[in-house]
Amino acid sequence: MPEIIAIHSFRGGTGKSNTAANLACLLARQGRRVGVVDTDIQSPGIHVLFNLDPKDAAHTLNDFLWGKCDIGRAVYDVSRILGPEERGKLFLIPSSIRTGDIARVLHYGYDINLLKEGYQQAIEQFALDYLFIDTHPGLNEETLMSIAIADTLLILLRPDQQDYQGTAVTVEVSRALEVPRMFLIVNKAPASLCGDALAAKVAATYNCDVAGVLPHADEMMELGSSGIFCLTHPDSSLGRAIDGILRRIET
Amino acid sequence: MNPDAKKILLAGLIFAVVYGLLNSLSNIFLLPSAPIISFRPQIALPMAVGILVHPLAGFITGFAGNVVGDAISGFGAFKFWNWHIANGLMGLIPGLAVYRHIRRIDTVRAFGILQGSIVFACAAGVGTAVVLDWLFLHFMTFPASLPSWILPAFLTDAVNGFILVPAILLIAGRIVLTLETRTILMITGLLIASILATAGSITWAVLDDLVSHGAMVQNFYIAAIVSVGLLVIGFVAAVVFVRKMTAPLAALGRAAEAVEKGRYDLPELAAVSARADELGRLARIFEQMAGKVGERENSLQRQVAELQITIDREKQARDVSDIVDTDYFRALKEKARKFRGA
Repeated sequence: MPEIIAIHSFRGGTGKSNTAANLACLLARQGRRVGVVDTDIQSPGIHVLFNLDPKDAAHTLNDFLWGKCDIGRAVYDVSRILGPEERGKLFLIPSSIRTGDIARVLHYGYDINLLKEGYQQAIEQFALDYLFIDTHPGLNEETLMSIAIADTLLILLRPDQQDYQGTAVTVEVSRALEVPRMFLIVNKAPASLCGDALAAKVAATYNCDVAGVLPHADEMMELGSSGIFCLTHPDSSLGRAIDGILRRIET
Repeated sequence: MNPDAKKILLAGLIFAVVYGLLNSLSNIFLLPSAPIISFRPQIALPMAVGILVHPLAGFITGFAGNVVGDAISGFGAFKFWNWHIANGLMGLIPGLAVYRHIRRIDTVRAFGILQGSIVFACAAGVGTAVVLDWLFLHFMTFPASLPSWILPAFLTDAVNGFILVPAILLIAGRIVLTLETRTILMITGLLIASILATAGSITWAVLDDLVSHGAMVQNFYIAAIVSVGLLVIGFVAAVVFVRKMTAPLAALGRAAEAVEKGRYDLPELAAVSARADELGRLARIFEQMAGKVGERENSLQRQVAELQITIDREKQARDVSDIVDTDYFRALKEKARKFRGA
């Protein structure tokens, strides 16, 4: 049964795209067929991580939502970034980075039924095991749609007060949408914090499973948004923590 | 009479009887011609009683004890009453200095006060006896009594008390063995040994009648006075020296207390850590250690602060209802149900 996993956070800069990309790559490396959709139409970015030049993307999610093309034409095989050991497949459905396209979607919006249909078609056409949805931060209509469609919701937060408050709202709204499975992921935890204690505290506060606590990694900072951390530093503490999250959400 | 006063009086009288008997014994078995420093250990008794029981009990022991001793010896109970007062003062003064103020003799300072009070008590006691004699009794003649009676009385009591009172207080547990008291006891012991050697050789010389000329005896007096003077000077120097030696340890102790109370900057160690010796090294290591502990403590406190998750539940409820209580949301929820049902 293919699974749709939405990755969300209340505020920007929590590392959503990075986490989504890393989880997708790890799954693909294990031989799964994995798709990633960039629904952050206002500020798309995940294509950078997958080395997809926007100029090469003749069709995007935007084109599909306006009925200009079939979803299949907006799907790009980016498996080459997995390296020579690739066994699974990795696909990306990018959003358009053209400002005109962005404004148009924001102005007219789109229909959730269409979106759901598109995902379904992409899953069937490319025989996907997993489809990751990278969302725009906050709780606008588009992100609510992604949450409504998802089988599993991963909510990222950083250990600071603003994230704590916003995440509380996100968790309750997601519960109201009856998301089947929901996990919290604490990202950018300072080295001074004990991960287990923080996870326990967060889990108790939100009454929600914590899939993992990701340490603040300087290597990740240096890498910036180019490249997939798990592929380059699998044995770092961050790499192992991301692997741990995967094992939590797979079961 | 209140029970404390009763206890003091009773203890004073009991020890007075003991003191009196011992006094009469040494009057009977008077060491012949031991002119300067005699063996008169019982003087430590009123002093120790004054320190351990009560200053007044010490006074009673000295005073009444001397009455008893004189009476038994056949001197007449109140003939030399000035010496009763002198003995009383020797019991009273160390008690006043130590009994209430120094519960634990565990520093050089406390030990110095103890020994100082003993020497002072002997001087004050003998001095008082001399003044009273000169005013009322006229048994003594000056200056002839000075070397034959007054000085020997003072030196004998001072040296005996100086040696024996600390021994009694050590057994009674009043002197606590610390680095400071051990060091000063050791130095005091060496000083006393040298004084006793002098006193012993003089006594032996006189006993053996090696010295018959009055002039030589006079010289021995001077030697005895000088050696007791050296005892006092040596003791004072030792007190200063030992305090200098152990002061860094006291500073380290205070620094450790500061760390225990959660203060990790230690200006009190500045003087010690500037030293080139082993204690300086210890102080520097201690400062570094305190710094590390402080850092760790701060990071722990930061952690605890970071682990505080406070959520404004009212604001959360408002924000949630702003989203959930809309037609859009209700429609979305319906659709989501349909997707998942499908």
